[in-house]
Amino acid sequence: MLVFELLVIMFLASIAAGLVGSLIGLGGGVVVIPILTIGLGVDIHYAIGASIVSVIATSSGAAATYVKDKMTNLRVGMFLELGTTVGAITGALIAAYVRSTILEFVFGAVLLLSLLPLVHQLAEDIPENPELTGLSKRLMLTGSYVETDGSTINYNATRPTEGLAGMVVAGLVSGLLGIGSGTFKVLSMDLAMRLPMKVSTTTSNFMIGVTAAASAGIYFVRGDVDPVIVAPVALGVLIGAFVGARLLMKARNPTVRKIFVVVLALAGAEMVLRAIGI
Amino acid sequence: MTLSDPESMNTVISKVLRYGVVISSAVIGLGVILLTVDDGLAQVSSFLEYDPRTIPHSTFPVTFSQLASGVAAGSPLAIIELGVLILLATPVSRVLFSIFLFAAEKNRTYVYITLTVLALLLFSMLATPYIPAFGG
Repeated sequence: MLVFELLVIMFLASIAAGLVGSLIGLGGGVVVIPILTIGLGVDIHYAIGASIVSVIATSSGAAATYVKDKMTNLRVGMFLELGTTVGAITGALIAAYVRSTILEFVFGAVLLLSLLPLVHQLAEDIPENPELTGLSKRLMLTGSYVETDGSTINYNATRPTEGLAGMVVAGLVSGLLGIGSGTFKVLSMDLAMRLPMKVSTTTSNFMIGVTAAASAGIYFVRGDVDPVIVAPVALGVLIGAFVGARLLMKARNPTVRKIFVVVLALAGAEMVLRAIGI
Repeated sequence: MTLSDPESMNTVISKVLRYGVVISSAVIGLGVILLTVDDGLAQVSSFLEYDPRTIPHSTFPVTFSQLASGVAAGSPLAIIELGVLILLATPVSRVLFSIFLFAAEKNRTYVYITLTVLALLLFSMLATPYIPAFGG
C-alpha cells in the first residue's frame, strides 16, 4: 500500500519540521516543501498548500506555550502584524504579474547575504539594552522574560519603523511564494529591533500563523489544500511543535541563534537552487 | 481572574490557541481513522497529479456548502477539511480575542492596531479568493 507509506513518511518528516520550526520561529515550509516535492514527488501546488497549513500548525501549537510562559512579546507581535498582513495582501495581488522564480532567487540571495551580519554575533547572548525612545516608547515595545538560570531579562526594542518595513517585505514574500517567511521576520527583529534571540523567534512564531492565515483562503478555495496530504502534515507538525516549544524554554540564546543561522543558510540555498532550476 | 488583570492576556490567548489546536487535531485525527477504516486510501491517489485546468483540482470539498454536506454524510475527507478549517480559524480567533483583551487593559492604541489587523486578515481570507485581480 504505497499511499500509506508515503503518508507515514510525511508524518515523520512533519514532526521534524514542527520541532525545528517552533525552535527558531519558522513554519517548517523549509522542511516540508522539499520533502514533499523532491522526496515524494508531490506536485508543488499541493506542497505549498500543505506548507501553509504547516505554518499555522507550528505557530498555534508552539505559541500556546510561548505566550503562557511570557516569552512572546504580544505588543511587538501585534504591531508588526500590521506590516505582514498589508504585505501579504499586496503580494497576493501582484503574484499574477511577477515571475516567482526571479522572486525566489532574490529572496534566497537576501537570506544568504543576511548571514554576514549574523555570523559576527553568533555567540551573542543578550543584545545591549538601549533606552526606550520615540515610537518604541509610544507603542510600549518593551518587555521581560525569565531566562533558564532564573534571572529576569529586560529588553527594549529599537528602530520599530525598520522592523515594520521588514515585516511588509516578509508579508509580501509569503503572499507571493506561499511560505511563512519566518526567516525574514526573525532577521528583522534581530537585526533592526535588537530583541533577544528567543524573543525574536517566539514572536515570529506567534506572527507567522496570522501571515499564513491571510493567504490560506485563496489556496483553500483553489483546492490546493488536499486533505490526504495535509492530515499527516498537520498532525505531525503539531506534535513536533509541542516538543520544540518545551525544548526552547530550556535552550540558551546562542544555541537558538546557531540553529537559526544553519537553517537560514539551507533555506537561502534551497530557494536560490530552485530558482535556477536545480 | 479578571480581564483587566495583566496576567490574563497571556492566559486567555494561550488557551484560545491550545483549544484551537486540540479540537482541530481531534477532528483531523477522526477523519484519518475513518479514512483508514473505509480503506479510502486505496482510492486516493489524486494527490500526485495536479491539473491546473480544472478548479478545484480534486474531489475534496472546497466550499462551505460542500463541506457541510460532506461532514453531514460522514465523508472522511470532508471531516479532515473541517479540522483544517478549525486550524486556519485559530490565529484569527486569537486576533479577535486580543481586541477584547487590549480593550480591557484600556490600551486604545493597540485596540486600533488589532482591529486593523483583523479587518485586513478577514478581507484577505474571505474576500480575496473571489476577486479576480487576486487570482480568485
